[in-house]
Amino acid sequence: MNESPWKDRKEPAGEPTRRLTHGALERTGSDGQALRPAQPVRRRARAPELWLLAVSAVVAVLPLAVNNVNFHHVLIMFLIFASLGEAWNIITGLAGQTSFGHAAFFGIGAYAAAVAYFRHGISPWIGMAAGAVIATAVSAVVSYPVFRLKGHYFAIATLAVAEIIFQLFVSWSYVEGATGISIPVAAEGLATFQFHTSKLPYCYITLAAFVGTVLVFRRVEESRLGYYLRAIKGSEEAAMAMGINPARYKLYAMMISAFITSIFGSIYAQYILYIDPFMVFALAISMKIVLLTVLGGLGSVWGPVLGAAILIPLSEYTRILLGGTGKGIDLIVFGALIVVVACFQPQGIVGLMRSHGRRRAERGVSGDARRDATAVA
Amino acid sequence: MHEGCQNPATCPMGRVLSRRPGWGAVPECNTGNPATTGKGTKTNVPSLRGDPRRRRSPLVHVAVGAVGVVLQVLTSGLMMGFVYALVAVGLSIIWGVMDVINFAHGEFLMVSMYSAFWLYTLLRLDPLFSWPIEMAIVFALGYLTYKVIIRRVVDAPGLAALLATFGLSLVLRNLAQFLWTPNYRFLNETLVTDKRLILGPVVLGMPQIVAAIGSVVMTILVFYFVQRTRMGRAIQATSLDKDAAKLMGIDTEKVYAFTFGLGGACVGVAGALLSSFFPVHPESGALYSLLAFVIVALGGFGNIKGALQAGVIIGVAEALGGFYLGTQFKYAVVFLIYLLVMQVRPSGLFGW
Amino acid sequence: MKKRCVWVVIGVVLATLLLLGGAAFPLGKSAALAAPQVVKIGAIFPLTGPAAATGVKLKYAVEVAQEIINGAHPEIAIPLAKDAGLPGLGGAKVEFVFADHQANPEVAKSEAERLIQNEKVVALIGCYHSSCTKPASQVAERYGIPFVAGSSSSAALTERGLKWFTRIAPNDDMETKFFFDYLKFLNQKYNAGIKRVGVVFIDNEYGVHAAEMVQKWIETYKKDGFELVALVKYPTTVSNVDTEVQKVKAARLDAIFHASYIGDMTLFVKKYKELNVVPKAVLSYCGGFQDPQFVINLGKDAEYFAGSNATTPALFAKMDVVKKINDLYKAKSGVDIDGPTIEDFSSAMIIADAINRAGSTDPVKVLDVLKTATFDAPYFVSGKVKFDAKGQNEYSASVMVQVLGGKYEAVWPEEFKTAEAVPAFPAWSAR
Repeated sequence: MNESPWKDRKEPAGEPTRRLTHGALERTGSDGQALRPAQPVRRRARAPELWLLAVSAVVAVLPLAVNNVNFHHVLIMFLIFASLGEAWNIITGLAGQTSFGHAAFFGIGAYAAAVAYFRHGISPWIGMAAGAVIATAVSAVVSYPVFRLKGHYFAIATLAVAEIIFQLFVSWSYVEGATGISIPVAAEGLATFQFHTSKLPYCYITLAAFVGTVLVFRRVEESRLGYYLRAIKGSEEAAMAMGINPARYKLYAMMISAFITSIFGSIYAQYILYIDPFMVFALAISMKIVLLTVLGGLGSVWGPVLGAAILIPLSEYTRILLGGTGKGIDLIVFGALIVVVACFQPQGIVGLMRSHGRRRAERGVSGDARRDATAVA
Repeated sequence: MHEGCQNPATCPMGRVLSRRPGWGAVPECNTGNPATTGKGTKTNVPSLRGDPRRRRSPLVHVAVGAVGVVLQVLTSGLMMGFVYALVAVGLSIIWGVMDVINFAHGEFLMVSMYSAFWLYTLLRLDPLFSWPIEMAIVFALGYLTYKVIIRRVVDAPGLAALLATFGLSLVLRNLAQFLWTPNYRFLNETLVTDKRLILGPVVLGMPQIVAAIGSVVMTILVFYFVQRTRMGRAIQATSLDKDAAKLMGIDTEKVYAFTFGLGGACVGVAGALLSSFFPVHPESGALYSLLAFVIVALGGFGNIKGALQAGVIIGVAEALGGFYLGTQFKYAVVFLIYLLVMQVRPSGLFGW
Repeated sequence: MKKRCVWVVIGVVLATLLLLGGAAFPLGKSAALAAPQVVKIGAIFPLTGPAAATGVKLKYAVEVAQEIINGAHPEIAIPLAKDAGLPGLGGAKVEFVFADHQANPEVAKSEAERLIQNEKVVALIGCYHSSCTKPASQVAERYGIPFVAGSSSSAALTERGLKWFTRIAPNDDMETKFFFDYLKFLNQKYNAGIKRVGVVFIDNEYGVHAAEMVQKWIETYKKDGFELVALVKYPTTVSNVDTEVQKVKAARLDAIFHASYIGDMTLFVKKYKELNVVPKAVLSYCGGFQDPQFVINLGKDAEYFAGSNATTPALFAKMDVVKKINDLYKAKSGVDIDGPTIEDFSSAMIIADAINRAGSTDPVKVLDVLKTATFDAPYFVSGKVKFDAKGQNEYSASVMVQVLGGKYEAVWPEEFKTAEAVPAFPAWSAR
């Protein structure tokens, strides 16, 4: 191994590395849990659930307090993308497998709900369930060849899978190909999953799904599977030595992640009522999920939520305020802010908050990293 | 030029074609026109109406035609592949040395193309000669990117570098739109424009030939630079083990900055070469960077030779796949090839 | 030190957010209260992203419309130009509120909602991309306000049975028929001998739909000797079109129908030249060919390409009103007005005219005028706009333009002809 100077670098033992698949991610977000499992986990065992209650209560009241369609839209988008980030966090934050291809599952979900109603007049709820099952199955089938790849090779492979699925949908006449599907307008109601007079039902359905997603993430994080995944992220070889089958648990993580992602794809389709492959299979969707989770904090339950809470309103409001100029100023501002956050808080917002909370206790690894990163400032 | 086939009723291929309107993929009847063979770069192909004397028996006809078409498709793919390779080499170096995915790579390419465009439009400097300037501009851009942004995130955990370069790509792309409007620009009067080389059944555009040759030369230069020079060795050492390199007295900061600049220089040259046949606009880099990701991974991260060979494979796969499966699938074929190859060589074609 | 930096950065981010979030809400409220004599109309265009080049031009055109309506322009002989503001509403001014949909249907939908709810616009125009016009017009339907689409050409738009939707541009269905009629005209008048027809189209809603329409209309025109021998579809982003042009060459087409945008169209033309593809006619759907950048970029290589277009600079001499509109437009954009642009200009004028005639911004009254009245539109060759029951403009007459001598010359129908059509491409070497 390692004859070529150009490929894998050897990492000095004990030194935290920058590798995606090795120790690097564990320092962020989940914050050293792999290093010190017992104590901190016990201490904050119920705290996230309480926080979740508080957050969802606030989110539930907000749309009533601010009766503004655009605000409701931003809220729904925030909930959808926070949940997508949460789902992505399972495979990337916990298991350390960077996926750039989650748009594929999102798109499958969106198309399942739309096609069920458009082609067969079946309730989109059934479509949603079918989509989730299909997405899970696809993730299982696709993961088998893809999981053999490590690190960035894996990341690019997920990208490749998503692009192939995108191409297939563009040319598949059963799903109307490139033309896209305008979901036929039906009577409003929970059964048809269409609401025309108000966005509130969408808000609450999405909120419920969001709460469910956070609970699933917590469940996975705290369970045996979560520990296995973190062990795999730390070192696949070490995990194997301990008797964990990495392929199997990575597969489970991927399937859970795909399942959730697909459900939100269905919600998105029912919300927009029009889908085409270019919007739901876009690389931009995959990247948005990645960005907001990394921005918030990888591997932590609140990372995607914080990331989405910043990124989604930021992109919406910069566009609303500056997008009409036609000069791209909104995206310049948006991009510059992302760069600034990445430069000065590479661990994401969660990392920042946590490091402040436990400044004294945390003089270890991450302190060094941050000093490196901000020494130039 | 299709003298035998002017009347579809007498041409076996013509009949197949008209029976299946959806099939554009039926091989051409005859491209191997003896009159145009080996006549150099002048455009001397006769117009549509052919000479009945050159009629051949349908069978020979189909065979020669099919081979000609395949050759043509192959060579076009090959030439595109070399350009892809050069774009990928820039990405690969950065990726291999500092483990940073430069999501702004396509935008570096775009900046280079705009530089070439403006140098030509304002100063009448042909891209054929202005490429060192583009190279220097994008080298400086890469160097600055490292000094201002990347050095703050290169050692950070997680995907912070990805976040930063993605933000940078948004800024660059929209800055281009802000400064230069989103219009599609095109250089139509460069030295290579409209020149062609006709080799038997194969017609090669001079801009593509120049781009392919330039890409290969630049790739080889970069390869030898990294292999032979002092700086190149320092880059290798740093990529192997940054801390050990530091202990050996290598200024790793400088090496990193230089590497980012070098990666930029590669796309700088690629952009100059592309500008003579590809429209310039704020989004022109996006597709190239997507393909470059696949090529880099296919070749193995940081592997220059690998990137060159993977670029060629992707270029040819795109062309052939597009021709036989339908052009809308050409990029799907590229991604499929990546997945298939990775089954056999999980660390890229030339990785271990 | 490092801590302070971090907090400063986060502070800045949060402050920006609050600012933006805070600013966005009062914006809607205050504007609605402030000036009741201003009629607000939403205009949603692709102002960033791949189609930004076109979107920005459409924005200029709508700004020109606003200028013509709000200012006194007695020299321009079109409705609403003479006096400042809308006479039917006591001289009320019109304000077009622009929004960017980034070529993303989701954004188009949310912007439509925002414009209706927060900005209190009384009508919508847009969106250029048919895929964005679909969800945006659904929103207009739901809120019951009129939507006038300018240049979105997908025939599917007017087949949805929407009550509040109207469209100015000829749809691809009509364009395809127009193309075949033109080919017939070439065959009859010039004995062009065009038989083998093929479609080269981009793999999205615009291209695919155009190709479907060709497949539909070829049945009607088979009796005229046309046959469809190639359908060449290419991906939405292409780095090269070598393979595509190989296929076109292999099919030996007499006429190529092109549904392409400006970037890919440029690549195709260069490749046709390189591989010496010499068709007799290349007819482009409303898209890349109509962009004046096409001629600027390609110079003499752009010669003889043709396509349907709502207007062309060559017609300015014949149609004074277009020339005057163009003077205003060119001052803003630096280029001459083109087909899609004048269609979206028209959408702005027509909706303002409808509001003016209705004498109120009440959507029901405005819709009633839209669906029943015949509007004067002297900037179109047809001179009129009238919407049928489905919302399609019945008078969607385009002209066939061909690039001759570096200009888009009108070549057909004969009554608007500014130059004689060239019925076959000369060899590339003979240009």
